[in-house]
Amino acid sequence: MTLPPLHIIVNGEDHHLMVPANRILLDLIREDLALTGTKEGCGLGKCGACTVLLDGRPVHACLLLAHQADGCRVDTIEGLADPAGTTLHPIQEAFVEKGAIQCGFCTPGMINTAKALLDENPTPTEDDIKLAIAGNLCRCTGYHKIVDAVSACACGSGKGECHG
Amino acid sequence: MGNPAPPYDVVGKSVPQLAAREKAAGLTRFVTDLSLPRMLHGRVLRSPHPHARILHIDTRKAKALPGVKAVATWEDTPKIKFGPRSEDWTIFASDKARFHGDEVAAVAAVDPDTAEEALDLIRVDYEVCPHVVSPLAAIAPGAPLVHEESPGNVAAEFNISAGNIDQGFDRAFAVYEDSYYTSQVYQAYMEPMSVIAETDLSGRLTLYTGTQIPNMMRMTYAKALGIPPEDIRIVVPEYGGAFGGKMENNIHLVAAVLAKKAGLPVKLTYTRHEDFLAGNPRVPMHIDIRLGATREGILTAKDVRVVGGAGARLVYSQVIVSTACYRVDSLYRFKNVRARGITAYTNTVPTACYRGFGNSQSTFVLESAMDELALRLNMDPAELRIKNGMGAGETSVHGWKIGSSGLKECVEKATDAIGWKEKRKVKQPLKGIGLACCNHVSGNRPFAREFDGGSAMVRVGKDGRVMVFHGESDMGQGQNTTFAQIAAETLGVPLSRVHVAQVDTDVSPFGLGSFATRGTLMGGNGVMAAAKKALAQLAETAGNILCVPPERITCRRDMFYDVDAPDKQLSFGVVASQATIARHGAPVVGTGFYKPPTELPDPETKQGNISPAYPFGCQIAEVDIDPDTGQVTVTRMAAAHDVGRAINPMSVEGQIQGGIAQGLGWTLMEDMHYGQGRLLNADFVDYIVPSAFDMPKIDAILVEPEEPNGPYGAKGIGEPALNPTMAAITNAIHNATGVRITTLPVNPAQLLARMKAAGSPGPELARNQNDRQDTH
Repeated sequence: MTLPPLHIIVNGEDHHLMVPANRILLDLIREDLALTGTKEGCGLGKCGACTVLLDGRPVHACLLLAHQADGCRVDTIEGLADPAGTTLHPIQEAFVEKGAIQCGFCTPGMINTAKALLDENPTPTEDDIKLAIAGNLCRCTGYHKIVDAVSACACGSGKGECHG
Repeated sequence: MGNPAPPYDVVGKSVPQLAAREKAAGLTRFVTDLSLPRMLHGRVLRSPHPHARILHIDTRKAKALPGVKAVATWEDTPKIKFGPRSEDWTIFASDKARFHGDEVAAVAAVDPDTAEEALDLIRVDYEVCPHVVSPLAAIAPGAPLVHEESPGNVAAEFNISAGNIDQGFDRAFAVYEDSYYTSQVYQAYMEPMSVIAETDLSGRLTLYTGTQIPNMMRMTYAKALGIPPEDIRIVVPEYGGAFGGKMENNIHLVAAVLAKKAGLPVKLTYTRHEDFLAGNPRVPMHIDIRLGATREGILTAKDVRVVGGAGARLVYSQVIVSTACYRVDSLYRFKNVRARGITAYTNTVPTACYRGFGNSQSTFVLESAMDELALRLNMDPAELRIKNGMGAGETSVHGWKIGSSGLKECVEKATDAIGWKEKRKVKQPLKGIGLACCNHVSGNRPFAREFDGGSAMVRVGKDGRVMVFHGESDMGQGQNTTFAQIAAETLGVPLSRVHVAQVDTDVSPFGLGSFATRGTLMGGNGVMAAAKKALAQLAETAGNILCVPPERITCRRDMFYDVDAPDKQLSFGVVASQATIARHGAPVVGTGFYKPPTELPDPETKQGNISPAYPFGCQIAEVDIDPDTGQVTVTRMAAAHDVGRAINPMSVEGQIQGGIAQGLGWTLMEDMHYGQGRLLNADFVDYIVPSAFDMPKIDAILVEPEEPNGPYGAKGIGEPALNPTMAAITNAIHNATGVRITTLPVNPAQLLARMKAAGSPGPELARNQNDRQDTH
């Protein structure tokens, strides 16, 4: 079956691609676009390492077909810092400063989930944060410093980094 | 916390990992992110049976599939028997498949889909054999033999004793005895195992892979492939966690065989399902314990029998079982101990290292037994620990010399932080609080028998850039940052000057690697020694310029100066540049090593100081039990750990919190579950690991008694962070319900049934309260 070209806006950039019907969104991101910041941890939507934002909402890129994202905006970790890549987003800064990163394999997905949470709810409680990231596994940190980092980005956290 | 820190500029400061910004930006290239031109993709055909004779393998159709570049089976390998500590491995199953997931054949093709398709075209005729999964069943008479040449499935035995066990028990007022079981659990590092293998025209093999032991692995693989070690180069990019799991594994050799056959680079990445099937999870153990103490609570004797399940071949399980037999004996002032250990072949995935290395299994058992003794002696469990705990300057029953010990302080600080005394006094239904302690090593002399130290090279370029080369392995825990802090402190430069080179066996020193909680102390001491050597060379240049003898020159905060006339200064950058010019371009390179004051234990008595330093710790858990389901929730933990000196306190806290998360998972949810010999829960759908919602608030407390053998007084934290967690939680469950948990993980339904059978007042009381609420 020949499908029409896929139109997808990745990190603000338009792409028109011929993509097989069975192409997984994650493979399109990692292999076709070489955006390897998005990780594959399980392939079953259970670890959250592949979390990207689809029209602003966190999704598991390993569970979507690329064509399901036709016409959509996809934001990956590479698009979060400023285009020159020199200034990190405040959430990325918070993850760095709070020690929320050990091996770093869960980090891109975790940060995307945190971004979606803070966009929707700029003043999350600790439980809100834990609930939001409950689908993102981290085996290194015990989640403490991740929760600290996300909390530090909340409006009124005193850091003056009200990102929402 | 701890002792007041000397005036260090970099050591003792909480700093983000050197690589943290790259990781946050998604720019770090992990092993799974790498590719090479014309790289092929490998896939492995695995045995669907736990135990089966391989009668015939037909690969003709697979080979004929367009896009397939190589198909390999045992016939394509050098057919050498090998292993890290044994000779029971082959690359691919030869006559028999010995576990569900055993490597039978592999394919390299132009893309993963073609490789997968080719696997379906390989035909294997099996004759299924009876199998055995449980370690106890494996050593019972008449059990199916995993290896015909190992009668009774006994892969290894270990016996140790010291003092007089019978006299010890004769003197005991209270004796506790029971049988325990700890499950086979999976490390669940977030990045599955992955490797790219390529062979050059001379036949030299390069492996790009995440490994904890690049140099030792090279020795094992040289034997397996029948080539000299120098014909193997191992490069270690950033990788996503290991926790003991990323050491020798057939993944690397399968990729090497495919790459050689195809004449092209081959990438082999395990799916998560495969990583469960063919990784190297924790050794499951049956541990029987008998423990005695006097009326005053002085321990008199400990007798232990350990039976561990090796799976189908020995990775490190026999060393892990021997560790389970005796490492914990240096936690307390034991005089009379005996342990017998059996490592049994079973038809499961080969088991190996996972944070704790056998000591976590036996710490769970000992610390449960300590709680039972405290009960029988009517003594505060914290007091019983303090009374027997090893202190600085003491020598343990096996000859271990304890240079520093913060054990007592750990117990005191943890109990204070959580309000232990008050909470033990006021008993609330279905709520409990429990405590457990631990000890560990910082390096393990008998593990790598030739030497046990650490080394490094510190290169200072003309530009003043400092590069640290080491042969250990940062698996994500932050080791590179710790090394950089040590180098910066020693050289007297800001951390921003220091960088750490990727480990590459062509360039890096021969480091033993990251295991046995050895990185900070062994590797750190090596880095410190190398930095001192580089500093001495720079001081000579600075002295020449300032017309001052070099021994009067030192460097601090990026400035060289004359200690007798501190106004005489030169910047580090100027000195580095001048030193290189004076040497006609040769960089300043300091090479240093650390030789620990350790001993190989005597083969007979097993006496000998195996580590230069011994970390200690104490964790306390609070739990709630659901009266309807038996579900256990850990509501809070305090964890005080003796780390000598925390080089990077934030990083140490992260280790403690992460260790607890893994220990909590083991205690409450994790178990590799077999049915008909097949692993049934080989993915994150059915094998549940803790999420953010499962984690309690944790007070991570750093206790810092200066360790005489540590770099800047530091010792390790990796494994101790997990060792006491299991018993802290199950002791809390006992406090809540009166039920002693002897099997990990806790089964809520069984817990509920045992609570009811024991007439535990908890459920009824809580139910009555609930009923009352319902009626209002």
